[in-house]
Amino acid sequence: MSDDAIQVSGVVKRYGATTAVDNVSFNVAQGEFVSLLGPSGCGKTTTLRMIAGFVEPTAGALRVNDRDVTHLPPEKRELGFVFQNYALWPHMTVAENVGFGLKLRRKSRTFIREKIAESLSVTGLSGYEDRLPRQLSGGQQQRVALARALALEPQVLLMDEPLSNLDRALRVTMRRELKELQARMKMTTLYVTHDQEEALSLSNRVVIMNKGRVEQVAAPYELYENPATSFVADFVGITNFLEGSAVGVDGGSMGVRLRSGQVLRAVAKTAVTPGAEVRALIRPERVTLTTKPVDGENVLSGQVILSEYFGAVLRYSVRLDGGEILRAEVHNFDNFVETGAKVWICVLPEHLRIIPQEGQG
Amino acid sequence: MIRRVLPPLAPALIALLVFVAFPMLWVVRTSFNELEAGAYIVDALTLDNYTRFLGDSWYLINTLWFSIRIALIATAISVVCAYPVALYIARTAGLQRNILLALIMAPLLIGLVTLVYGWIVIFRGGGLLNSLMIALHVYDQPVRYMWDIKGVVILLVYIGAPYVVLSLLDSIERISPFLVEAARNVGASRWTAFWKIVFPLTMPGLYAGIVIVFALNFSAFAVPLMIGDSNTQMIGLVVYREALLNNDLPFASALSVIMVAVNAMILMGMAVFFGRLILNRLEVKR
Ligand SMILES: Nc1ncnc2c1ncn2[C@@H]1O[C@H](COP(=O)(O)OP(=O)(O)OP(=O)(O)O)[C@@H](O)[C@H]1O
Ligand SMILES: [Mg+2]
Repeated sequence: MSDDAIQVSGVVKRYGATTAVDNVSFNVAQGEFVSLLGPSGCGKTTTLRMIAGFVEPTAGALRVNDRDVTHLPPEKRELGFVFQNYALWPHMTVAENVGFGLKLRRKSRTFIREKIAESLSVTGLSGYEDRLPRQLSGGQQQRVALARALALEPQVLLMDEPLSNLDRALRVTMRRELKELQARMKMTTLYVTHDQEEALSLSNRVVIMNKGRVEQVAAPYELYENPATSFVADFVGITNFLEGSAVGVDGGSMGVRLRSGQVLRAVAKTAVTPGAEVRALIRPERVTLTTKPVDGENVLSGQVILSEYFGAVLRYSVRLDGGEILRAEVHNFDNFVETGAKVWICVLPEHLRIIPQEGQG
Repeated sequence: MIRRVLPPLAPALIALLVFVAFPMLWVVRTSFNELEAGAYIVDALTLDNYTRFLGDSWYLINTLWFSIRIALIATAISVVCAYPVALYIARTAGLQRNILLALIMAPLLIGLVTLVYGWIVIFRGGGLLNSLMIALHVYDQPVRYMWDIKGVVILLVYIGAPYVVLSLLDSIERISPFLVEAARNVGASRWTAFWKIVFPLTMPGLYAGIVIVFALNFSAFAVPLMIGDSNTQMIGLVVYREALLNNDLPFASALSVIMVAVNAMILMGMAVFFGRLILNRLEVKR
């Protein structure tokens, strides 16, 4: 027995010459909310559809609740699925849509009626039983799609960008409701999105995908603070990249020699060989910026080439003396620095993340 | 709305008036005239032409009911033949699909006379169909297809089925594959998903196909004329005979009016039936 509700192992999907999903593996624990996040075309939907059984994997294995489902038809997998475009049956009323799966399971009429009422009340749709899908707004259709999946009490719920067709305000409301619902029902949920805000705010863990591969699987906090690759660092939030070579690698500490020759000290979290080409990642909100000359370790000087005032935050683009552009975001405690000013920037070693350079990436 | 739509349509509306509405009115008017001495049309206002048909049970059974029955049978067979073909074509793409569509439409593009003579080669006593059936021991004496109602039905199906295929195809292609996946996901087998989701959603296409083909079959005249025997008294054929062979235009006109009226009534009945069945749920506005 394993604790994992979903196990994806070495799954590959090829369409002719293109590889949509390339050796993807990850697990989702019982009751966990996991998101698949990545840019358009990275294979999120294909991965989810393989788990649901709509797409046959070229290679690899899929297990759901300790059962090998790799070659099982979709109707035997007992998974809830919410489609991006809702996929409500247009010739059935809301109640018929929600009750269809129960009817197929030959449940009693009273049981079906109660279950429909329950699912609709959970999704806030009581009173809409006899409406047809075309008589509902997008948000209501989305709720029906969710109610339809919940009516069968699936242990595992799969969702493919369920909120992407809603306007922003509704999306935020629905996101909150979804999170509450999932916490209350303790359903294992795998959620596909290309909206990082959605993924970070909803999930226990996030699977970051790029070009059909998994880049990193981690909790939202880990992704942001400890991105495994420059793709993750770049995709989740905004990051500055400074290129250089590793020097003075020594246990928990190391240095990066920048193009200007200056050496930045960093806390070493991954093994790096001295002399290797590396990238130093710095989040814009982690730097401190002053107009007074500062001396000491990890201080970079440069000139502000763009300053933007946003009220609570101030954003600057600074051209470092080495030529690199560094973005900084500071809270509005200090005076606003005008474009053209000479500035000094401090970075703490623990806020520098060193990543070996991957090819041209 | 009407003011903006009308001007560009004017030429078409005038043509419609001149070539359809006036002749129809003329037919209606003629149906109340009398035929004097079997040759001369005399202006009158009489219902004789109508009672001659509607009051005669021979006509009602052998022409009106016969036409309805043959049209229904041919329509039903067309649907049964067309449905799997439409499903199959919906799954194809590219060249294969274009070839199949061309083959489906071919009967509609070849002139009827050519078509009928082609079928004669197949149908006649020692023709392909009989040789095949005898070779397969389905029966051992040649069966008469030509100059028989069997041949009429076969040809009506042959001409009607392409319309049903095309109109079904349109409906099938509108069905999002996600709807089937959603059904499979909640536990429906392929077969259940087809019956509960795909089939109901093809009703608009099925309805359109049935309406076209039934109307064509009910008033068919060329096929019964060329392939039927003396018992094939389909109403379109009787109109033709009375108008052009017997020169009884008033009677032929009355028959035409009856034919159009019965056709319209049956089509309205179908509209109500299909509307109740499912279309009212699907249609936005009609
Ligand atoms: N049926 C198919 N035939 C051929 N290629 C396909 C097919 N389905 C997906 N692909 C390809 O596989 C890749 C991954 O597609 P997928 O739909 O999984 O992306 P996604 O991550 O869900 O993107 P999005 O965020 O835009 O929905 C894409 O390059 C796509 O073109
Ligand atoms: Mg997708």
